[in-house]
Amino acid sequence: MEIQKVKQKYISWSIGLSLLLILLVLGGGNVSASDNESKTLKIATANEIKSPSFLGDYNFELFQTISNSALLQMDENGNIIANLAKSWFASPDHTEWTFVIDDKYQWSDGTPLTPEDVAFTINYRGQLASSGWIGDTLVDTTTTDDSVTFIFNKPYSRLDFEFLSYSTIPKHIWESVSDPEAKTSNGPYVGCGQYYIKSVDVNSATLILEKNPYWKGEEPYYDTIEIHWFSNDNASSFALEKGEVDTYWRYASTYPYAAVSVLEQNNRFDIFQAPSIGFSFLGFNLLKGVGADLEFRKAVSSAINYEELMQITTLGYGSIPTKGFVPPSMPYYQEMPSLIYDPQAAEDILTAAGYIDSDKNGIRETPDGEELLVNLVIRQEYSREGKLVAEYLRDVGIQVNLKVVEVNTWYDLKDNYQYDLTITRTTPWGMLMHANWGTGYFDSRRTGQGVLHTDDNPAYLELCDAILATTDTNLLEMYAQEIQEYYAEYLPGVALYWKQDITPTNKDITGWYSTPFKGILNEISFMRIHPKT
Amino acid sequence: MIPSIKIARKYALSALLIGIFVIMATIPGYIAPYGPSERFGGYQTPSTAHIMGTDDMGRDIFSLLVHAARLSLLIGVVSGVLAIGIGVIVGLLSGWLGGIWDDIFMGLTDTVLILPKIPLIIVMAAYLEPGPKLLIVTLGLLSWESGARVVRAKVLQVRTMGFVLSARCFGFSSAYILSREILPVLFPVIVPKFVLVTASAMIAEASLSFLGLSDPTMISWGVMISDAFTHSGFIRHMWYWWLPPTLCIILGVCAITSIAFLYEGRTRELIQL
Amino acid sequence: MMPGNPIVHLIGEDIMVTPELVEELTATLGLDKPLHEQFLIFIQNLAAGDLGYSYHLHAPVAELILERLPWTLLLVGTALLIGYSIGVLAGAYAGWQTKQKGAKALTFIGFIISCTPPYLLGLVLFSVFVYHLGWFPFKGLYTTPDLASIMWHMTLPIATLSLFIFARNLLIMRGSVLTEKHQLYPQFARSLGASKGFVLHRHVMKNAILPIITQFAIDFGFILSGALFIEIIFSLNAMGSLMYTAILNHDYPILSGLFLVIAVMAIGANILADVLYGIIDPRIWREMQ
Repeated sequence: MEIQKVKQKYISWSIGLSLLLILLVLGGGNVSASDNESKTLKIATANEIKSPSFLGDYNFELFQTISNSALLQMDENGNIIANLAKSWFASPDHTEWTFVIDDKYQWSDGTPLTPEDVAFTINYRGQLASSGWIGDTLVDTTTTDDSVTFIFNKPYSRLDFEFLSYSTIPKHIWESVSDPEAKTSNGPYVGCGQYYIKSVDVNSATLILEKNPYWKGEEPYYDTIEIHWFSNDNASSFALEKGEVDTYWRYASTYPYAAVSVLEQNNRFDIFQAPSIGFSFLGFNLLKGVGADLEFRKAVSSAINYEELMQITTLGYGSIPTKGFVPPSMPYYQEMPSLIYDPQAAEDILTAAGYIDSDKNGIRETPDGEELLVNLVIRQEYSREGKLVAEYLRDVGIQVNLKVVEVNTWYDLKDNYQYDLTITRTTPWGMLMHANWGTGYFDSRRTGQGVLHTDDNPAYLELCDAILATTDTNLLEMYAQEIQEYYAEYLPGVALYWKQDITPTNKDITGWYSTPFKGILNEISFMRIHPKT
Repeated sequence: MIPSIKIARKYALSALLIGIFVIMATIPGYIAPYGPSERFGGYQTPSTAHIMGTDDMGRDIFSLLVHAARLSLLIGVVSGVLAIGIGVIVGLLSGWLGGIWDDIFMGLTDTVLILPKIPLIIVMAAYLEPGPKLLIVTLGLLSWESGARVVRAKVLQVRTMGFVLSARCFGFSSAYILSREILPVLFPVIVPKFVLVTASAMIAEASLSFLGLSDPTMISWGVMISDAFTHSGFIRHMWYWWLPPTLCIILGVCAITSIAFLYEGRTRELIQL
Repeated sequence: MMPGNPIVHLIGEDIMVTPELVEELTATLGLDKPLHEQFLIFIQNLAAGDLGYSYHLHAPVAELILERLPWTLLLVGTALLIGYSIGVLAGAYAGWQTKQKGAKALTFIGFIISCTPPYLLGLVLFSVFVYHLGWFPFKGLYTTPDLASIMWHMTLPIATLSLFIFARNLLIMRGSVLTEKHQLYPQFARSLGASKGFVLHRHVMKNAILPIITQFAIDFGFILSGALFIEIIFSLNAMGSLMYTAILNHDYPILSGLFLVIAVMAIGANILADVLYGIIDPRIWREMQ
């Protein structure tokens, strides 16, 4: 019977394939078993490197922190400390900045590192889109045996801060490259820190760093650091739980709060907590519509159930913010009045401001007689916050049109002020940039991807300029206080919750060091970590 | 044909399934213990108060499941109806009128056939406002071509058959013939196509939420599943969060399929000429 | 044309730029030229084999696509082959012997799989085979670029994709065979004394397989999108994720290049299907003569 023959064929094929599968599983497992003799640290991340372009890929640059040391770095308290530059100073008018180079740092291919490399790096970066401001303002660069001086056409009181993020690149490699952002290579890349980038492979989703043989400082424990990136969080969490990696790191983010409890049960991890200076906040369109009305903003700030919102979004790893916007872990933090959930107060403020529900349909009308309808435009990742805020506002008579848009549309709408409210986040860098204390987000003169540039209040702008013009710590402390008082009074943005950043680390490894800027991915951390035994 | 007990049981099961979903879709408030916006504290495991636990926002999962039926089934069915509607019209006209119309319509069909559906849906969802309307329109507009093809083939086949020729002899108008004689014959052919479109619509809805391209304020089975994945429901082994909506999608398609096959059972005699 | 300012995403979330800089960039990228000029340049480049340049990924589009194309072909091509062959055979059996338990079980399985969202099934399989059993790796196209590693990494993704293709083809083939079964010619052949198996293979399959060929042609054109979810779950760097990130980044050069590739593949596949159709169904040959 033909059918029997077909069945037999089926069976024999199935057996054959199953055997092949078993062989694969056993064989494959052996082929890829890790080499236990070399001391390797493995890190999982969600920051995917899309293209092996050293200067072009945004996420690739994140991992250059430990291989191509920047001039300066940040310590755990947010203070700027020495890195490639062992000391630095500015001229009194802050137009000339000098950095003295630490000779511990040497290129991994044996070439000596000189101040010429630093001079080259900064000038080279002036050509790139993301650091174009250098090209506009740097007029001259001079070097001595051990230092380099940059001369600008305008004063920069916070140049040290700006220079935190620029990895130093070797002149002898890059001077012959005409299109720096387009240059792709799988490695190795010459580095100058304790490590250098040995290889990057987008197909295996791995970046490997090796000890720099020419590093003259204290030797780190680990010979190799492997960065593994995943396209979805479930996969990275599974890998972490199984012990495939030792820790999880994600730029300016935390390990998903909801997944932490699983790790706690796993008992293989220390749960490292650090207060974050980044957080989510509600932004107003201060230039037109109801967002421009201070009373409206005050009412909104009372209408939000902060406790519930914080609980749902951070699962308790957070706290209720104050009106001062700036979180406690920032320098010169001032305790401002706390944000309080008081819907009755919100209703009273709205009524007093002229937003009355005359037709009793549950929605208030503006003094012009129109329905009080606000557009809350958000990106997908804030859908929970958006839903909750929309509900809270509706409860006090404000009709909310919740628009969830994809990233580029959000940039468009935000930059063209086509919204009333939005929810977005600050990153640690974002809070520190421009004139510090979150001013980068509101100052109307500066545009950027993540910033709102909505505040053109002259008092605010003058304050920002004052901060930018001085390095006097006493003055800065005073300005910081004024900024926070300004935020509390004018509410250009309302922080929704402050949070801790969670980093799970392998219990057997100790020495982790976390900074507000890059969490555990910093030079000090990698110098110190070692197995507990 | 006297239906045996087996067939009667099959009909009863199908009817029950359809009945449950119809109730869930039309009067969810009666079955669901809580409203879709009520919150009770997140990530609770199943208990007597919440038989399927709560999601990350603290909403009762079982209540969500019931309330989600309406939108999910609506998206599925309306997309199907839209796709089949367009397909039938195009196929009928193409097969009946023939000639240049046939060429035009088939050319159109081929173009739509070639268009890669999922990328196009992603593009539309990324650039236009995501939501149920967009899904229905997109899926409906992209899925009609296979229906059109089979309808056209059937019309071509039936056009030359005896009963049609005699109807034309009698002088009945084309429209009358199309609707009274040919349409009934088409049902067995388009019904499986309808089911396919419905199923793929419900799944596409889930897939888009996973990619972050749907309206997160929607309450549907697809959004529930993707919520479970993006809010650590999978890692926390909360199978009671993502498995029930999955089963509902499967059973929902089963229910719609049953309606189709019920109908087919009655007409089988008609086409066995 | 399409919404969104393409410049914005090039710069980075924490960077601030002056409006002048944005203008400068726009000019450098040629985006301030009128649309028809941009299109003309596109066509000119196309003729020279230049598909454009992606400023997000810092590489020529042609290079980006060619790097990822082999992996997509490996993933989707193999899955199509496996899914189609097993699916067709299983579907033929299920349609021919509808009363048998095996046939019913197969149909049931095929149905369940077809109704499940692909990423869910993929994640479940990932959870079972990678996390719980540890048989396969957590991510990547390979660990080291050699055959053994590639096979180890690609087995589960290919198997998952095959499962879907298998399920769908099973149902289509079954339906097709069922329709053919009720025709006169198989019953006639049976009445002449031909065995069931003979009738199935010699006569019915040839006719029943025609919708499958059409389906294959369509699938070939969709070679990108089908694997997108698999790529996300298994962290594979192939054309699906290239397309997805290009859409989200408004990376028009990549999108144009990709759609061109899809169109070419789809047309090619359709021509192939027409040829196959002609071979299998001699009536079409005769009609053409």
